Amino acid sequence: MTRHTRILMSVIYWAFIVYLFVPLVLMVMMGFKDSKFIGFPIRGWTLEWYTGIFQDAEILGVFGYSMAIAIASTVLSLSIGTWVACFLGPHKFRGKLIVFALTCLPAVVPGIISAISLRIFARGLEIEPGMLAIILGHTVHNVPFVALVVMARLSTLPPSHIEAARDLGADAIVAFFRVTLPYLVPALVGAGVFCMLLSFDDFVRSFFLGSYEPTLPVLIFAMLRSGMSPEINAISAVVLVLTAILGLWAERSMRRLNKGS
Amino acid sequence: MSAAPDIDMSPNTDSGRAIVHLDGVTKRFGAVTAVDALDMRIGAGEFITFLGPSGCGKSTTLRMLGGFETPTQGRVVIDGEDVTPLPPNRRDVNMVFQDYALFPHMSVARNIAFGLELKGRTRAEIARQSDDLMDFLQLSALRDRMPDQLSGGQRQRVALARALAPDPKLLLLDEPLGALDAKLRGQVQVELKQIQKRTGKTFFFVTHDQEEALTMSDRIVVMNAGRVEQDGTPEDLYFRPRSRFVAEFIGETNLIEGRVKGAENGSVVIDWNGLDLRGAAPGAVPAAGSPITASLRLESLVCHPAAPAEGDALPGRVVSKLFKGSRTTLDIRVGDHDGAVLRAYMDAGAAERIAEDRVWVTWDISRLAVLQD
Amino acid sequence: MAQSDSKLAGVERAGASGNGRSFWGRLLTSDLYQAVSAVLFKTQRRRFWLLASFPLFWVVFAHLGPILRMFWISFLDSYPPTAGTVPQLTLANWGKFFEDAIFVMPYFRTLGFAFVLTLSTLILTYPVAYFLAKHVRRNRQMLFLLILLIPFWVGEIVRTYAIMILLGNNGAVNLILKFLGLIDRPIPFMYTSFSLGIGIIYLTSLYMLLPLYSALEKIPNTYLEAAADLGAGSWTRFWRVTLPLSKEGIASGCTLVFLISTGYYATPVLLGGPSTTVFAETIAGFFHVAGDQWPVGAAFASIMLITTLTAAAIFLKIMGRSGKGMME
Repeated sequence: MTRHTRILMSVIYWAFIVYLFVPLVLMVMMGFKDSKFIGFPIRGWTLEWYTGIFQDAEILGVFGYSMAIAIASTVLSLSIGTWVACFLGPHKFRGKLIVFALTCLPAVVPGIISAISLRIFARGLEIEPGMLAIILGHTVHNVPFVALVVMARLSTLPPSHIEAARDLGADAIVAFFRVTLPYLVPALVGAGVFCMLLSFDDFVRSFFLGSYEPTLPVLIFAMLRSGMSPEINAISAVVLVLTAILGLWAERSMRRLNKGS
Repeated sequence: MSAAPDIDMSPNTDSGRAIVHLDGVTKRFGAVTAVDALDMRIGAGEFITFLGPSGCGKSTTLRMLGGFETPTQGRVVIDGEDVTPLPPNRRDVNMVFQDYALFPHMSVARNIAFGLELKGRTRAEIARQSDDLMDFLQLSALRDRMPDQLSGGQRQRVALARALAPDPKLLLLDEPLGALDAKLRGQVQVELKQIQKRTGKTFFFVTHDQEEALTMSDRIVVMNAGRVEQDGTPEDLYFRPRSRFVAEFIGETNLIEGRVKGAENGSVVIDWNGLDLRGAAPGAVPAAGSPITASLRLESLVCHPAAPAEGDALPGRVVSKLFKGSRTTLDIRVGDHDGAVLRAYMDAGAAERIAEDRVWVTWDISRLAVLQD
Repeated sequence: MAQSDSKLAGVERAGASGNGRSFWGRLLTSDLYQAVSAVLFKTQRRRFWLLASFPLFWVVFAHLGPILRMFWISFLDSYPPTAGTVPQLTLANWGKFFEDAIFVMPYFRTLGFAFVLTLSTLILTYPVAYFLAKHVRRNRQMLFLLILLIPFWVGEIVRTYAIMILLGNNGAVNLILKFLGLIDRPIPFMYTSFSLGIGIIYLTSLYMLLPLYSALEKIPNTYLEAAADLGAGSWTRFWRVTLPLSKEGIASGCTLVFLISTGYYATPVLLGGPSTTVFAETIAGFFHVAGDQWPVGAAFASIMLITTLTAAAIFLKIMGRSGKGMME
């Protein structure tokens, strides 16, 4: 590559970074604007919108509701996804490819169709729209990611580790809990945070599977439909910061744990 | 090395008692027969080595003893109990794995305690036994280290301690020195042999390295293509190989392919490219004129600068000389035929003084071993 | 895991007598556990099915179930069922799609849109991925990648809103253009295919970037040096070496972006206008109104699922075949 293309590419890279970050930075800034009207220019600054949302019982309630859904669906996805991975990873059997394809299916179905089909499915199971339906929907959507991440980690576990545990007196279950599971920890941390973020940020499934009680993205959507307001900016900014912190923490701890073994 | 711990490790060299019986054991993987109708008896306290190239069935045999493979046919009996259908966790057999398989999330002490813990021993018991073992194997200073903070040799010792801790009736070692560098390997070989002697445990060692096998074993079983080629002491295998495979697999040798010329009380004369070679033949000798193969180790040949006063000496010419430091390898052509070349070792200093076009070769007649196939 | 109840009961019983022993040691030596596991793990086959039963049930029931259920509903004349009536099978719901341009237009618009956006995302992110994989020092690649990842952890709605602020009539772009004196009145970016396109690229570019990066990162630099050594100029090197070798990344990136971009619902609602109605909005419409519109929505969703998965499969097949052709 010539020097020129090299420079050009670094310009494109940084332009891309700007494209990714500028809208988010503007959004955070706008939350400090001392006016109910969203738009530039910003003449006065205030913390009112940010402090406001922390005193708003409704918003805090919605935040807690989203959090509860995220935690519940993450725990379920991790358990189910790990089980699927431990079955699918090391075993050879006829029709394995079909089972693998079925495992990945929810990850490739476009969002709206996933939401619609889960809505119909929940109706068929007589699960009312609401928390339980959303948790089910998010779990179905997240299991493929957990299964793939865990399978990748599992494939690097030397078979001799399990054999050593068996040799020293462990049966299959004890070997799983004492050797396999600790080995999977980095993958589970990563997949768990990823599930939390996917669930917490999910709109389309929460929207179609939810009742009148909204999750945070559904609430923001509803507020947006009745017009922009600095309050939305403040909520979004808080979500953004929390998300980034959680993501960075997961990234860091995953790398540290991976190094440890 | 400190004193052997007193726990269940009283030297037991009663090799008259068999600890393992393999009874017509066969293992097939699809169309491939990995182990073919193996019958074997292993004495208590023996250091037995299964030696062979990769794919010869030695590892499969080890895995069947450990319970990781179930024989297609036959029985595995350990200390009088038929363990053929039992999984690894139900056998009093422990293993040192090729990659050591130390649990990466557990300290050295926790790794060693693992087997005792699962046996349901009390914490005090576990602590006492694993402390003794760590003392014995000089691991006490490393007890809180994690496996990734250990050197290769240390890992190997931890793996050994972990496998010894539950006091197995049989210890399996699956090429445990393969990951060590050459210098360390020699040292560990000596250590392993000492540990085996002091604990009196039966060691079942698997390797493809003939030097390892010769150094440590009481008994070596050479395997090839699922079958036992020869079963004997290291000296037996080295100086009295029964088959061409064994002769070639262990050490370097001259293969003498000729015809029987005659035989008299325990010795045989082989016609080799028109030359007469005398060798020991303790067993029956084929009739005169029939083809015969014999093995003659390099160090059993002696080169002389002048014709020796007595004995059968073959005059020859040095065709190539390979300097190897402490000694020199000489290829000596004896007789007129192109194929009549013998390889011999010589002290490097003596080899320098030798006249290349005129040497005499003699050999220890008892070391010219007739092969049985 | 299925037998955890009985397992725990066994532990408690053993716990009373086995003081000072580890949990797992007590578990393994407890009579109850041994009896239970002797039955459960008796044969290899039984162990396999114990492990397999739940995953198989889950993927068939929870992964495939909703899709099959949706197909089934699409052939019913009424759903949710009203009391006292038995739903009849019908093809009318599928037929409805072809009856009205109101349904057909968004369908083709969505596909065309997804196609154009996939291509644009590819062209936009390829240099970024290339720069990362080939021009950033290896120990700093993770850091550079991490910077890119942060915005993508944030959800669809928040990022869509960020785009609204950027492109609104009083948004940052219009402000800058006005400040530069290029315009007097704000350009109405919002509620057009432009704003929708910018928004969707903003949401999906990571799904293109990551597969591209991992494909490019695997190409050894020695290949490019060898090509240069053989006299290939930088463009030739790109067309003949880099591009074919990154084919796998292109294929999976494009497939992902295509599938994901057809599935957005909130973004088109918020960023698009009446002229940009996408099929997701059409489908969603049948589920908002009370009554017996679900079967039609299910039929339309089925049409879209079949179309997108078929398109993705055909695309992957073409990429796979030509990729092999180039290797020969």
